[in-house]
Amino acid sequence: MADDQHLIAALRQRDTDAFAALFNQYADKLYRVAFNILKNDADAECVVQDSFLKLIEKLDGFEERSSLGTWLYRVATNLSIDRIRKARPTASLADDFSDDAPIMPAVFIDWAHTPEQWLSEDEKHRVLSAAISQLPPKLHTTFILREIEGLSTAETASVLNASTGAVKVQLHRARLQLREYLSTYFSERVNH
Amino acid sequence: MQCADLITYLSDYIDNDLPVELTREAEEHLATCHNCKVVLDTTRHTVTLLKEHGQVAIKPVRRKAMFAQLETAFLKQPNQPG
Ligand SMILES: [Zn+2]
Repeated sequence: MADDQHLIAALRQRDTDAFAALFNQYADKLYRVAFNILKNDADAECVVQDSFLKLIEKLDGFEERSSLGTWLYRVATNLSIDRIRKARPTASLADDFSDDAPIMPAVFIDWAHTPEQWLSEDEKHRVLSAAISQLPPKLHTTFILREIEGLSTAETASVLNASTGAVKVQLHRARLQLREYLSTYFSERVNH
Repeated sequence: MQCADLITYLSDYIDNDLPVELTREAEEHLATCHNCKVVLDTTRHTVTLLKEHGQVAIKPVRRKAMFAQLETAFLKQPNQPG
């Protein structure tokens, strides 16, 4: 946090080294979050750009209690979700109601200990993208921040303005839904 | 511990967030219940696969262009005290 204060002070002085450091520290992280939500290269780049522009705009009045990183993650996550909502207004509305559905595992194929039965690398890519895209938005973003970005439960809660309890519940549901999706995929592969 | 309890505690177990007593009960259940052991192993494997799959980065040429645009915007924004 003290580092952040120095960085913000330098940014306010329009120190280009400080800006380069900020960009290098966060550009790929924000891109990773946006790309995993949007699954589109150009849209993800726009989100990264807009997130930094928003910070530049707010710089002189920046009074966040959370860290710069948390603030940037939050902006990038929200901008990505806004884009999804605009692209698929009805689909994501319906999704919002299904993210507290209890998940009981129903497929018990043990594909963790057999060589993965992917048809090809393209197929693997397609199935994993589809698996994560079918999650309701809240579970989707929680999973990305916790598992792909490796943020702590507390950091994720701060980014999403949620309680740590809610983050834990969402991560649990996301993991089980993803497991079920991949298990179903592998059980169909084995049977055909 | 029953299967339904194990599933409820599964994420806490994976994250080492479960109290000692419940961890012991979960391990006892996992030692004898094939389905729950499969769920545990495939959940861990699911997370590993998606973690690898999600590691993307901006293409270097786009990254350079983006930085140049943002740096211009950064230097243009008026510096007001406060
Ligand atoms: Zn069981």
